[in-house]
This record gives sequence, structure tokens and C-alpha cells, in this order.
Amino acid sequence: MRNPSLRIWLTLAPALLVTGVLFGASVFYAVAQSLGYLSIIGETRLSFAAYGNVINQATVAGRELWAALGFSLWVSGAATLLSATGALILAATLSGSATPPRRSTLLALNANLALPHLVWAIALLLLFSQSGLLARIAAALGLIDLPAEFPVLVRDRYGIGIIVHYVSKEIPFLALIVLAILRTQGNTYTAVAATLGAGPWVRLRRVTLPLVLPGLAAGALLVFAFIFSAYEVPALLGVSYPRALAVLALDYFLNPDLSRRAEGMAISLIMALVVVGVAGLGRVFGERE
Amino acid sequence: MSMQTRAIHSIRRYAFHIALFCFLLGPVAALLLYAGSVRWFYPAILPNEWTPQPFLRQIGNPRTRDAIGASLTIAGITTVLALLIGLPAARTLGLRRFRGRQLVLLLLFLPNVVPPVATGMGLNILFLRLGWAGSYLGVILVHLIPVLPYTIFALLGVFARYDEGYEQQARTLGATWPTVFWRVVLPLAGPGIAVAALFAFLVSWSQYVLTLLIGGGRVITLPLLLFAAVAGGNPASIAVLALIFAAPPLLAIALAARALTDRERVVVQQY
Amino acid sequence: MPLPLRARIAALVLTLLIVLAACGAQPAATPAQSAATSDEAVPVTNALDLANWDSVVAAARGQTVNWYIWGGSESINRFVDDFYGVPLREQYGITLNRVPLADTVDAVNQVLSEKEAGVDPGAVDVIWINGENFLSLKQAEMLYPDWSRELPNAQYVDWDNPAIYLDFGEPVLGLESPWSSAQFQFIYDSARMEADELPRSYAELLEWAKANPGRFTYIAPGPGAFQGTRFVKGALFELSGGADQWLSFDQALWDEHAPQLWAYLNELKPYLWRAGETYPADENELHSLFANSEVDFSITQAIAGAGPLISEGLVPETARAFVFDDYMIGDFNYLAIAKNAPNKAAALVLANLILEPELQAAQILPENGFGLGYAIDVTRVTDAAQLAALNAAQAQLGAAATPAEDLAQSLVGDSAGEYQSLVEAGWRENVLIGE
Repeated sequence: MRNPSLRIWLTLAPALLVTGVLFGASVFYAVAQSLGYLSIIGETRLSFAAYGNVINQATVAGRELWAALGFSLWVSGAATLLSATGALILAATLSGSATPPRRSTLLALNANLALPHLVWAIALLLLFSQSGLLARIAAALGLIDLPAEFPVLVRDRYGIGIIVHYVSKEIPFLALIVLAILRTQGNTYTAVAATLGAGPWVRLRRVTLPLVLPGLAAGALLVFAFIFSAYEVPALLGVSYPRALAVLALDYFLNPDLSRRAEGMAISLIMALVVVGVAGLGRVFGERE
Repeated sequence: MSMQTRAIHSIRRYAFHIALFCFLLGPVAALLLYAGSVRWFYPAILPNEWTPQPFLRQIGNPRTRDAIGASLTIAGITTVLALLIGLPAARTLGLRRFRGRQLVLLLLFLPNVVPPVATGMGLNILFLRLGWAGSYLGVILVHLIPVLPYTIFALLGVFARYDEGYEQQARTLGATWPTVFWRVVLPLAGPGIAVAALFAFLVSWSQYVLTLLIGGGRVITLPLLLFAAVAGGNPASIAVLALIFAAPPLLAIALAARALTDRERVVVQQY
Repeated sequence: MPLPLRARIAALVLTLLIVLAACGAQPAATPAQSAATSDEAVPVTNALDLANWDSVVAAARGQTVNWYIWGGSESINRFVDDFYGVPLREQYGITLNRVPLADTVDAVNQVLSEKEAGVDPGAVDVIWINGENFLSLKQAEMLYPDWSRELPNAQYVDWDNPAIYLDFGEPVLGLESPWSSAQFQFIYDSARMEADELPRSYAELLEWAKANPGRFTYIAPGPGAFQGTRFVKGALFELSGGADQWLSFDQALWDEHAPQLWAYLNELKPYLWRAGETYPADENELHSLFANSEVDFSITQAIAGAGPLISEGLVPETARAFVFDDYMIGDFNYLAIAKNAPNKAAALVLANLILEPELQAAQILPENGFGLGYAIDVTRVTDAAQLAALNAAQAQLGAAATPAEDLAQSLVGDSAGEYQSLVEAGWRENVLIGE
């Protein structure tokens, strides 16, 4: 243990091995299968047919790919932007008053975070569907007569339900990040600005936002990647068409027609490329600032 | 400030907090209502009878109990492994600056952004060949892919403000490594490690896609059961299972309340 | 002897790559071998002598039979545990391990992946199966052959009936044994509608939907949602003027009639629930829409009609089943045994037990939670007590079931298996996605 450099790598080795081997193997196999290497049906020649099929819309999977890509980008983009904005306003409001946010508030934020997405999505489904609890309350108040008159809030074509889900789960996440930054460095600046007569809106834009932007942006990037890759929530709260990329990929991967597997694999790798690309771009821009 | 404006101010504050709490936790109330209902259809605003039947049925169902056991075992072992592997790495990454550090961080970060759908599909065939598919071993290993990075990044925060001087002092005074660990490292970093463990547990606890793709229908954890119940369509059963699934995370948050709210720390956590 | 740092990193990366390559290369070399072993070297275990049934029963004692079965219905799960699990344990010393699946495809994938990996014995003993899943495993030669007609209780099965010896047009041979029968039906709520208001054909359904926009929908056809596929196939039969022509596959026939089918469904689409922008993904989602008055009809396959759904609490107690006058597709579903099943003897005992007349009588009763029809031909049962039980059960189905004569009058067989994916993919492309 004399050699400090060796010690560094020894302590890192288990983590690197586990991540590297498991993750590396999964990438290797994913690529191999997307290239049509599927010995179940005796296919051992490599080809880009699956990619060609999905990109040139040659198969049903292909015809859905672009719609799914657009849908996933829209849902994750909109949800990320709304969450970041909401988190900023919430955190500024909570830390704006003279007293620090109460423990119960922080605890509620954390409790929301701890609820599994699956549970949250089910709760929203029971609450917001056209015959759900809110619709029943509306019916009891005489606002609607038939379920069809209640607005379509979940399982809708535009992914509103999925966006509502993620906004209500990611605002607490991002708000906690912003609160942490504000607590360590922000309050004095805001107080000074307030003494100098800056209104709440000016304070938010000129003081709070620049202060928290790097942290918030990093958090938002994680949120985007997470929503873009997610399966459970779009599967539960989405519609038959358009479907999210992850739903499309898994559906084709599990299709009994085994030749579809390669297409499912290709879609999931395209999805992975988009996420890694966006994350990379985010990093580049982050470093430039 | 006059009495009146102060009153208005505090009313507004209360209204804001009530709205916030409804937003953060309100939907759970829907689960509670459905969990005690039977044949509760639109437009009935409340169930026409309350019954513990759906709850008793789930608790009495050996499948549910097995799934709870499987979820606890898998998340528990995954957490312990993630800590064992993650602690030395996070300590080094937090305390040392060395060539290649950025690269290591990037490699550890990558599984966080690559979709679990892709990771699971890739490992599906490999694990089948190795005979790990459908076993706890396989599921735990595949859970480590997302859990390990989270654990390490959570622990990084702990070690970023950790003073190694105490360890060196103890060593100079002749303490052995185990003693240093129990007497110095744990007291200093213990609460942070506990929070990291909590989040490691939660990330594993909530995995659906990876368990589905590697468990091969033989390792049935709670999220798998819950997804099957959603397809089964009985709202009372769905709600009861959802509450059972949500209980340990909520309990853990309550237990960790002090660590979460006292310290100025946020664990970057997503699952 | 410290190496320069860069060299050490290079060494580390290299080691990682070697490990990765080893992981990758080792299995990559095996498929040819594993294919060879699973096709030739592993002979079908003929240690079991079906002609000597007692020896099978003796071999099965102490085994655990892993039954991979769709687990989406709690009442079916309970039925299986109570009516098969208990006698297996008490009479045969066999433990039933019911493995619940979200979709039967998962079990098919499990077996296919095991074949790919050369795993024998595998994990799956018995699968509840029919249609495309049967076809997949049959094509992959992963089904245990030549047993179903040799079971002692096969004497009760009418193996001359094409609806039994063809599974979606695919010859069953000896690869699977029937469990129960089902027939496509609709459900309505007698508290909301009168029986004489009900549409009785696809043409009338279109008129009804136009008069009641937003009050009807069907399940999106696709893997795992065969009820939706069946709704569409029924329309195809009516539009093309007959079901029998679809029993064997004919691409030209499909090309001739498919446009009519899509035209019909697209004409219906704007009058559907949510104007056809989305469809329920499975039977239970449709039940929930129906129960909550979002739509006026649901769909079921159960011979007991709405009965099992009422007792499960999924639909109101006033729900009733009904059929159109014609083209209501009926079929049989089966048990198959995986070729690499670890407990074949116990699997055979289970498949035989299921055909016991008393258990067949129990399975159609809604209160028992299964509610699918007989697999056996009642006229082949000679024992008076058993016969009485079967007839009594049929008489007990009650008001929530479609009258037996309506079912019989409208019954048609399913089309050849090849049409399944044509219908499903074509529907997604021409109806769901549309222009």
C-alpha cells in the first residue's frame, strides 16, 4: 500500500468491474442482437436490416418509430421544462419567507419522492380518469352528466397524463436541489436584493435563477434522461398510439415473432443514443458556461 | 404590520401549505379510498360499503407474501453489496484528485442515463446462458447497474466534506484499520451512509423493467405483482397492493426524517 | 516498480476489454453446439410409458409441477389453487407451483431462450396456451410430443372435432391437451338497456354506434389481447359472408377482403369511445369502462358470461352476456408441456386431472371463479353421477350467461393462425394509426 496510485485504483476496481462488466456486456449483447444476431432462430449473420426497417418505416415498428420518438421527446421535454420552472418557483417561495421551510414541508417533499412511480401513476389513474374520483365529484356537483364530458386527463393522445405524472413527481426532486443550493448560499443575496427594493419577480430572475441555474440544469438533465427512458408510466398512462419509445421497444422485444426482437433492440439502442447525446450536449453547454 | 394584514398573511401561508400537501400526497388518498371498496362504480362518490376484504385477501395470499419477501431480500442484498463496493470507490473519488477521475465518474454515470429497457434486453440472453436468469443472483446483479452509481454519487457528497485528518490522527495513535472504521469513519460519515443506503434500497425496491427482463417471470417482486394486478383490473386489489408497495419507502423516509431535514443535503435520487 | 500512470490506465482498460471480450466470445461460440445438442443429443425422455398410467403416476409422486399460467385474474388463480392444487397434493403427492404471467408470451420466451441457451432441464413444465403461442413453440420444436391423445381421460375428448384437433388452424397432433372452451360474447347492463335494443350483427352495431356516439369500443387487437383480434375477425367473417373460407390460409382471399374490413372499422371509428383515438388495452380495462358507464358494452370469452365478473366485483350485478346472431368465434384452450420440462410425469398427471368430469363440471360454474366451458364431450361420459354433475352445472349458469342455444347458433371456429398477425399488424397500420 505504499503506492498511492495503486491504492486509488484498487479501491475503484470493484465498482469499475461491476459497472464495466455488466454494463459493457449488456451494450455488447444489445448491439449484437440489434444486428440480427439471434441464434434462437438460427440467424447468425450480422446485418443492419433491423435499423433499416425501423428507420425507413419498412415494418410496422418502423412506421411507429418516428411518432414514438416525437412523442417521447415532447413528453420528456415538456415535463422537464415544467418541472424545472415549478421547482424554481416553489423553492423560491419556500425560502422566500423569513423563516426557513418547515420540517413538515421538507418531509412531504421527500415522501413524495419516495413514492414509487408505479404507485403514483396508479393513484393518478384512479383520480383523473373519465370515471375517476374527480369525475365523480364533478358529477355530484352537477358539472357533468356522463363520464365522456369530463376532460381527458390520463390515457390521452398528447401525453398530458404522463406529463402531469412527471411534473408532480419531479417538482419535489428539483425543488429539493434548489432549496439545498439556496440554503447554503442564497438567502443573503435575496435578502440584500429585497432590502434594495427588488420585487419578488425581479429577485427570482436576477438573483435566484443565476445562482441555482447550474445545479438546476444538471438536475433537469437527469430528469429528462429518466423520463425519456421510462417504461412503466407511459405504459400505464399512455394510449395505444402513439406510444413512448421504451414501450414500443419492449413490446417488440417481447413479441412472439422472434424476428421482431432485433427491431425492438434497435429501437432501444436508438433511444439510448438520443439520451446519451442529449446528456453529452448538456455537459458541453454546462462546461462552456 | 397590522393585525389584519398579519392574519391575511398567515391564512395565505396556510392555504399555500395545504395546497402543497394536497399536490405532494393527495393522490395517495385515492388509493386509501379504493383499498376498502367493493364494486364501487361511477357515479357513486363514495363506496357503498367499506370492507377490509381486499386487504385481508392480499395479506392472506401467499403470492403477495412471497413477493414482499422477494422484494425485501433483493433490495436488502443489493443495498449491502452496493455499499461494500461503493464505499471505497466513493471515498477515493471524494478525497483524491487523480488523472482519470473524470473518466471514472463518466463511466459510473453512464448507466444512469442509458435506459433500463436497453440494459435489461442486452443482458437477457447473456444471463440465460449463464443460468442467472430467473434467479435472485441475476436480479440482484442487474439491480446493481442502476443502484451502484446512485450509491456512489450519494456517498460522494459525504466524502466531499469529510476530513481525513481524523483517520490519520487515529492511525498515528496506533489504531488498527477496523478500529478506525468503527470509531472514526462511521461516526463521521454514518448518517450520510445511512441516507445513501436508504436510497440504494429504494432504487432497487422500485425496479420493474430490469426484474421483468432478467427475472423471467420466476422472480416475482412487488412491482411485478402490482403490474399484473393493474392488468387484472380489480381497483380494490390494485390499490391495496400499491399501498403495500409504497409502505416501506414511506416508513424509511419517516425513519430518516432527521437526517433528511436537519442536514443541508440533498441526495440526487431518481428511480 | 511504479508504471507510468497512463500505462497503468491503459492496462486497466485493456483488462476490462479482455473481460468483456471473454464474456462476449464464450457464448458467441456456443449457439451452433447448443442447437445441435437440443435437436439431436437430447432425446425425448421416453422413460415415461403412457400406456402404463400407474407408472406415470408413481413417477410423478413427490414432483413439483411448474405451471406457467396467465395470472391476470385473481378468481382464476384461486380456482387453480383450490381445484387442482389441492387434489394434486392430496391424491398424487404433487406440489403445484403456479407461476403467474402478465402474458403467456413470457413463458414462450422463457422456453425459447432456454432452447437458445441449451438449458435442459428448464424451468417450465406446463403452459396454458393456444393460438400464436402454440404455433411459436411448435415451430421451435420445444413441445413434448405424442402424449395428449394417450391420457386415460382423453377418452372424454372428441378428437374428431376440428375445433379441437386444430388450434387456430394449426394441427394439435399430440402436442397439447384441451382444458376448456370459450366463445366470444358481449356484455350489457340490463339496468341500462333492454334486451331488444341490442345490436345483433356487425351491421346493426355500426347503426347503434352512430345513434349512440362514444358509447362503444373494443379491445385493441394485438399480442395478449386476442379478444380484440377476435372482434375484428368476426367483422371480417360477416363482411366476407362466411367463416369457413378462413379456416385455411389464403393470401389472395385476405387481400380481397382486408380493404372492406378496414373500411368498416374506420367508418365505426369516429363513433367509438374517445372517437377511436385510443382503445382499451385488455379485457379488464374494457370491463372497467363498462362498469363505470363510460361505454355500454364489454366483451368476454367465458361460457358463464358476466357471472365470474360479477362475483369478482368487476362489473355491476345487473350485467348480462349476449351474442350476435352469427360469427361469434369459439375455441378451445390447451395445456402444453415443454420439451425440456423438468417434471414431465407430474405435468401429465395435471393434464389428465383437468379432464376429470367432476372438475370439468366445476370449472364452468361462475361461483368457482373460472367460468370457461367444457373441454370434454358430455355425451362420452357414461358414469351416471358424473353426467348428472355436468348437466346440473350447465343448468346452473344463471341469468348472467348467454343462453346455450344462442351460443350454439352463433358459434364459428377461428381462422387459420396466419391471419392472426395480419389482422393485428394491419389493424395497427390501417385503423389505429390510419392516414
